[in-house]
Amino acid sequence: MKSRDVFSYSFSAIRLRKLRAGLTTLGVVIGIAAIVALLSITQGLQDTITRQLQTGFATNTLIVSSGRGAGVSVMGGGDSGFKLFVNDTQTINKIENVSMSIAIIQRVCYVQFGGKNRTTTIVGVDFDKYASIYSSTFVAESGDIPQSPGNDTVVVGKRVSDPWKNGTLFCNVNDDVAVIWTNATARPPKNETYTGHVSAVLQEVGGFGIGPSDSAVYIPISKAESFFGTDECDMIIVKLVKDDTATIDSASKAIKDAFSNEVSVTSATAVLNILSSVFSVIQLFLGGIAAISLLVAGIGIMNIMIVSLMERTREIGILKALGMKSQTVLLVFLCESVIIGLLGAVIGIGSGWVLANVVAIVFHGGGGAFMGGNQVAGTSRMTITPVLTPTVFLGALVFGVGVSVIFALYPAWRASKLKPVEALRYE
Amino acid sequence: MAVIVQAVNLKKTYLLGKVPVEALRGVNLKVENGDFLAILGPSGSGKSTLLNLIGALDKPTEGKMLIEGVDISTLNDNQLADLRRRVGFVFQFFNLIPRFTARENVELSMSIADMSRAERRKQAEDVLETVGLKERMNHKPAELSGGEQQRVAIARALANTPRFLLMDEPTGNIDSKTANEIVGLVKRLNEEKGVTIIMVTHDQRLATQAKRTVQMFDGVITREIVN
Repeated sequence: MKSRDVFSYSFSAIRLRKLRAGLTTLGVVIGIAAIVALLSITQGLQDTITRQLQTGFATNTLIVSSGRGAGVSVMGGGDSGFKLFVNDTQTINKIENVSMSIAIIQRVCYVQFGGKNRTTTIVGVDFDKYASIYSSTFVAESGDIPQSPGNDTVVVGKRVSDPWKNGTLFCNVNDDVAVIWTNATARPPKNETYTGHVSAVLQEVGGFGIGPSDSAVYIPISKAESFFGTDECDMIIVKLVKDDTATIDSASKAIKDAFSNEVSVTSATAVLNILSSVFSVIQLFLGGIAAISLLVAGIGIMNIMIVSLMERTREIGILKALGMKSQTVLLVFLCESVIIGLLGAVIGIGSGWVLANVVAIVFHGGGGAFMGGNQVAGTSRMTITPVLTPTVFLGALVFGVGVSVIFALYPAWRASKLKPVEALRYE
Repeated sequence: MAVIVQAVNLKKTYLLGKVPVEALRGVNLKVENGDFLAILGPSGSGKSTLLNLIGALDKPTEGKMLIEGVDISTLNDNQLADLRRRVGFVFQFFNLIPRFTARENVELSMSIADMSRAERRKQAEDVLETVGLKERMNHKPAELSGGEQQRVAIARALANTPRFLLMDEPTGNIDSKTANEIVGLVKRLNEEKGVTIIMVTHDQRLATQAKRTVQMFDGVITREIVN
């Protein structure tokens, strides 16, 4: 029998049982749609996070912080008491492959303007060097970031200036704002205050990262040292000359050695690698759950094929009496499952894609709670664009058809093995 | 005349549950090209079993079933299927595919035999015309009378220009007036077109229309009559 004739014969058998075939196909559609939706959303999420980390967190940078872990000193006894100081950058700058390094001091403060208060993070940095490391994100939208800033110069993130995203500004360029920090180590604790002059509002960065943030306020490092009364820094950001693994590894090791292993060194690349492996696990897990629903659909196909086989025993007998070969009978039945699988997979991929986009829109609309920590003013919204990779597309197609065919194998084989005399006698 | 079907000491035993049943107990038979043979006998006499063996639907337990000189016991499943394409089978219960029209049913046997679409169309119309059903060819079995359905089945059997037609109680399921028409058609096919026919029946009256009749009883041929 010609393959075209096998196909049209199988198709006529499916068309005869529209409702049954439709429901069987629906099973495949649901399974495939779930897989496609989950995978394309997680892929989109991963892409978004990776992209934001890459912009906010240049790949040729290392972050050095004191080994005890920032801010966690509850453990007391085991603590070596090691502290990282602003002038430790001089030690780091001497290390091979290091192009520059900058110290960062940050504290949670209030910014007051026009009778309104906002909680925010004050970050003390060297503006010039910071801008050269984060050249794409530490950029002024309005005003200027001065190269040699005065003591009272303040640069604010987009969400500090425009916290409600509706044009009602909290503060703008050339405003004089009050910076208030509660010194909790003084007895009694007291509020330190100074008046800063907003010289620039940063471009919106979006999302999150280790680099510039929409919800931070930047002041010169020298001012931070005098205002917070310390030369201890929270972290040192190191820019390397290259971003290949060998350079990153050797520089990380050299920095650790320089501080007798009392510091931890984090590379952007390492974080991205960890993140990507975490996402692989999440994708595998979610995909696995969705695959179970497809498996259920497969069992449905098998069930329906066996019922159909019983009903059509006599028909198979007729086909064999007319001279149809066993392998053609097998093909006819498998072809039915291929049609169901293919139809289900195509509709499933389409509806999974639609589902992913609907979820992304809903997620985005209700989003904002993502990084809105208690201490941080403003919110960073994250936009997820679902990504349907060719691998997922083809994989879903192959998987859908594959499951259908595998579960149809047994009924098809049984049909092909029927003896013509017995099949014809079947009532 | 060339012998196209020959049974030599043909035996067939099958299991009914766990009880072995000897359906054929040594049948010897020769059918020549152009013959019209009626196999007569009560139910259980083994006539349908014999027909199934002649049609290569089953293999004998013992003895030889020669179709055009080839022993079917030596053939594998695929070769048997090929052989069946050269045999026209007509069943008591018509055995048409309900979802197909008369024409599609006739075309099915040709598509199994790998015939091209255009050839199939023409041949289907020709054989349906032979059985007098050309104007009803786009109707489905449910829209046709019993006699018409049997004529479609005969057309289907003729479609691949078979070496012989096998008919299992072809009039068993239709009224006597229509039965006469069917027998008339079968006779005409034999006389005018030279189609070899082997027909199983338990209807004495029908058997007299054949050129030759064999009487079966208890798995053996008991009598042979040349009309």
